Amino acid sequence: MLEAHSITVTYGSRRVLDRVDFTAKAGEMTAIVGPNGSGKTTLLKAITGEINAGGVTRLDGQNIAKMSPSELATRRAVLPQSGHVAFPFTVLELVRLGLTRGFATSATSGQDTLPHQALARVGLSGFEGRSVQELSGGERQRVQLARVLLQIWEPVLDDMPRWLFLDEPVSALDIGHQLVVMQIAHDFAQMGGGVVAVMHDLNLTAMFADRVTLLDQGRVQGVGTPKEVFTDAHLSACYGCTLRTNTPPPFGGPWILPQAASHHPNHIRASARARHF
Amino acid sequence: MAFVTSRLAPRRPAALAGDRQMRALALRMALVLALIVVMLFSLGWGAASGIDVPGALAAKAGIGTASLRDMAIVWDIRMPRMVTGALVGAALAVSGTVMQGLFRNPLADPGLVGVSAGAGFGAVAAIVLGGFLPVAVQAATGAALIPLAAFLGGWASTLVLYKIATRGGHTSVATMLLAGIALGALTGAVTGFIVYRASDDQLRDLTFWGMGSVAGATWAKLLAAGPIIVLTLISAPFLARALDALALGEPVANHLGVDVQRMKRLAILSVAASVGACVAITGGIGFVGIVVPHLLRLVQGPVHRLLLPNAAILGAIVVLLADMISRTVVAPAELPIGIVTAVLGGPFFLWILLKNRAILEM
Repeated sequence: MLEAHSITVTYGSRRVLDRVDFTAKAGEMTAIVGPNGSGKTTLLKAITGEINAGGVTRLDGQNIAKMSPSELATRRAVLPQSGHVAFPFTVLELVRLGLTRGFATSATSGQDTLPHQALARVGLSGFEGRSVQELSGGERQRVQLARVLLQIWEPVLDDMPRWLFLDEPVSALDIGHQLVVMQIAHDFAQMGGGVVAVMHDLNLTAMFADRVTLLDQGRVQGVGTPKEVFTDAHLSACYGCTLRTNTPPPFGGPWILPQAASHHPNHIRASARARHF
Repeated sequence: MAFVTSRLAPRRPAALAGDRQMRALALRMALVLALIVVMLFSLGWGAASGIDVPGALAAKAGIGTASLRDMAIVWDIRMPRMVTGALVGAALAVSGTVMQGLFRNPLADPGLVGVSAGAGFGAVAAIVLGGFLPVAVQAATGAALIPLAAFLGGWASTLVLYKIATRGGHTSVATMLLAGIALGALTGAVTGFIVYRASDDQLRDLTFWGMGSVAGATWAKLLAAGPIIVLTLISAPFLARALDALALGEPVANHLGVDVQRMKRLAILSVAASVGACVAITGGIGFVGIVVPHLLRLVQGPVHRLLLPNAAILGAIVVLLADMISRTVVAPAELPIGIVTAVLGGPFFLWILLKNRAILEM
C-alpha cells in the first residue's frame, strides 16, 4: 500500500501540487492522468522521494523520507521520462546497473541470465552489444525499462510487494510496443507488485489501469476506476476540450474519442470548477 | 520466481555480446606487462651511462654486489623518480576518470578546469608564505605543509567549480569549462602576485615546479605525498558503481540506491586530495587525466569497475614515457615533463573536441 497525504510542492511562487492525497494498492496498476502542467510528474517525483515535498508518503507503512537510498532501491524502481546517458555503455552494461544487489552476492540466482531475460521481455533480444547512445528514443526507453525491471525483478520479495513507478512509459513508443510495455506493467501488478504510472494516453489507461487519479492544476479532480473517472464532463473540464466517452466492444471499458478543441478552455475550466469537481 | 519467463530469453548469454569485461581484463594484463617494461627502461635511462641497473636492484635484495655509484644512482635518484612518475601518472588518470564520471562529461579534467591551478596556488602560497606561519604549525606539518596546502587549494576550487557548473543535478559543459578558465585565471593571478613577492631562490624553485617535473623527486617528498596518493587510488574503486549510476543522471542514481550527495562529496575530496598531492611533488602535469580515460573508454567502454584500475596503469605508463621523452629531447638537459604532456595532449584534446562537438551544444 502506498499512501501519500497532503503532498504540497511549490516551485518559486507557483504551487504545483496543493495538498494532494494519493493512494495505490499492491496488485493493482494505478494511473495518474491530467493535462500538461497539472502536476502529474511532480506527484510521481514526490512519492518516489526524488524531490522534497510537504506531506508524508508511506510505502507499506514506512515513511520514505526516513528510508535510505539503498533501502528504497530494493523496494521500488523508477522509470524516468527521458534519460541522457553520459557515456557509451552497451545495452547489456546499462541494463546490468539494475542489479542493485551487485555482482558479488548470489541473492538472486541467474545474475548472468536475468539481464538477457529483461531485454527479451521488452523486445530487445540481440541488442546487448549495441551502444546505448546510438539507439532510437523508443529503443532507449525500453532499455531503461529493462534496467528498471531488473531492479525489482521479483514483484514480491520476502512477503513484501515491490513497486514500479513509470513516468510516461509509452510516450516514445510505437503502438505495438506501447501494448508490450503496458502488458509488462499489468503483469507486474498481477503478480502482486504495485504499479504507479503517469499516463497521457487515456485509452491505454482505460484498458490497463485498475484505478485512476485525475489531476488538474495541482489538485485531485477524481479518483476511482477508469469507468468512474473518465466521464465526458470530468475529462472535458480538465482537458479543456470536448471529449466523448463511449463503451465499444470488446473489453467493455470506456473509450474516449476527441470531438473538438474548445476555443475557450478557460471558460470550460471555470464552469467545471463551479460544479465542484 | 520471476514474474515473466520469456521463451525468447537465451539460456546462455549469447557469446557475451555487449560484455566487455574479458576485453578489459586482457587489456589489463597487457598494460601491466607494458608498465613493468617501461619501469625498467625508466631505471636504465639517464644522463649517467654504464650503470649496472640489474646488479644494483639485485644487490639491494642481497644478491651479489654493486658499486656505490651504481647503488646511489639507481636507488637515490632514479628509483624515487620512477616511483613518483608512476604514482603521479596513476593518480592523475584516476582523478580524471572520477572527475569525468562526477561531471558526467568526458571533457572534465583537473588540469583543464582549474583544479590543478587551485592546488598550485595552495602549493605556491605554502612555499613562499609558509615561513610566516607560527613555528608550532610549521613543526606540526613539516614536509606535509606543501601537499596539505595544495590539497586545500584543489579542494576549494573543485567545490566552487561544482557549485557553479551544476544546477538541479545537471552539469553544463560550457559553464564548467568557462568557470574553470575564470577560476584558473583568478588563482593564477594570486599565484603570480605571490611569485612576484618571492625571493630569488624561491623563484627558481617555483618556475621549474610550475612547468611540472619529476626530476626533483626524492624519497622525502614521496613520503609526504605518496600515502595520500595511494589512499585515493585504493579508495577510487569503491566509487565505481556510483559513478556508473551517475552517468544516467542524479535522480536515476538515487533510485538505484546510490547516496548521491555523500558520493559526490567523497569523489570531490578524493580528486582534490589526489591532484593536490600530485601538484605538490611534481607541479602541473596536464592532459593525462583526459587522454588516458578517453583512450580506454574507446577500447573497453565506460564501466568504472573495469575502467579505474586500467586508467591507473595506463596513466603510470604515459607519465613514465613522457618523462623518458623529456630526458631525451634536449639531452643532456631536461625538458619539464608538463611541456611534453601538453605538446602531446593538446592536439589529442582538440581531436576529442571535434569528435564530440555535440557535447558542447548541451
